[in-house]
Amino acid sequence: MNKDLEHQFVTELQNNQNIVHKVCTLYTNDQDAHNDLFQEITIQLWKAYPKFRGDSKLSTWMYRVALNTAITLYRKSKRSIQTQDYESVIFKIKADEYDETQEQQLKLMYKAVKQLGDIDKALVFLYLEDKDYREIAETLGISEVNARVKMNRIKTKLRTILNP
Amino acid sequence: MDELDLLKKDWQKKEDHLPKLSYQDIYKMIWKKSSSIVKWILIISILEFTIPHLLYFIPSTKSGFEFYENIGLKYIFLSLTIIQYAVVIYFIYLFYKRYKEISVLDDAKNLMQKIIKTRKTVKHYIIYSLSMIMFIFLLVVIGVYFSDNLIESYSALVDEPIDLSPTKLKKVVMATIAIFGTLFTLFLGGIYFLLYGRLLKKLKANYKELQKLEV
Repeated sequence: MNKDLEHQFVTELQNNQNIVHKVCTLYTNDQDAHNDLFQEITIQLWKAYPKFRGDSKLSTWMYRVALNTAITLYRKSKRSIQTQDYESVIFKIKADEYDETQEQQLKLMYKAVKQLGDIDKALVFLYLEDKDYREIAETLGISEVNARVKMNRIKTKLRTILNP
Repeated sequence: MDELDLLKKDWQKKEDHLPKLSYQDIYKMIWKKSSSIVKWILIISILEFTIPHLLYFIPSTKSGFEFYENIGLKYIFLSLTIIQYAVVIYFIYLFYKRYKEISVLDDAKNLMQKIIKTRKTVKHYIIYSLSMIMFIFLLVVIGVYFSDNLIESYSALVDEPIDLSPTKLKKVVMATIAIFGTLFTLFLGGIYFLLYGRLLKKLKANYKELQKLEV
């Protein structure tokens, strides 16, 4: 691997690191695990980088590698998921921007999303990132119709978690 | 759903609160070793392909060969060894091919499917190996049953005087080999299924979930 490629890759990743951080935030529960997953995703991105031809957007490519690593390749157990503390995971919500009830609602929502399974989380993540159903379907390897069906089920699931 | 759209707005506002890694931080990371499932499958598989072959270098296995020769199994073992190597080479080729097909750029479902397929190749190899081990133990038991000079070949192996009658010795040796063979096979199989069971539990669950969607 030559120096140019290294420099190009690190610069691109540094500029787009938010994508990876967001995946890590959703799939891990503490800072150590976050860093660990970030590192594994970085390694996978770097290994796949020579094959990135630029026929898709770099961000699209990063979403795919990052999610694949989190869902499939990453090995650490996530046993503490039920007991983890919400505050330590999600960055603080600025109170002044929201009224009390909305803030409370958001907190509950984040907590509910964190309780979802790996696949459901991936769908929610891509939805939150404003991806359309075609891209969600392509990333996961399912049909667009099924992605919609699945998303509706997740919404119902979230509603049940929020209003038991 | 209004709540999820509310969340979406909030999620996108949060970008500023994410950690920021420096160029140096990221540069250091690209030289670290991966600890992905695929890496582990590769490591475990290499061990599984090599460990049985290392057994041949242990001296007791070598004297074991003399023992087989004495009980008249020499040619059977020679041909079995040739078949064994042919099969191992075939499995290594298949495994390498499958392993190369795994790409992190695939969609999630395909990626999982390929990992499971690669693991299946190893699983088939293990099942073959275990049956082979069982078969060899069985052959030895049969060889012992039909041999006439068991006492000589056996005392050559252990250098200890034997004070058992030939028929009794035969029974004891046969039973010992049969019991040991069964336990050995179960033990190896147990280790194998435990290793992969743990490694791929999460992946399999996720794969099933995606698969369920498509039916």
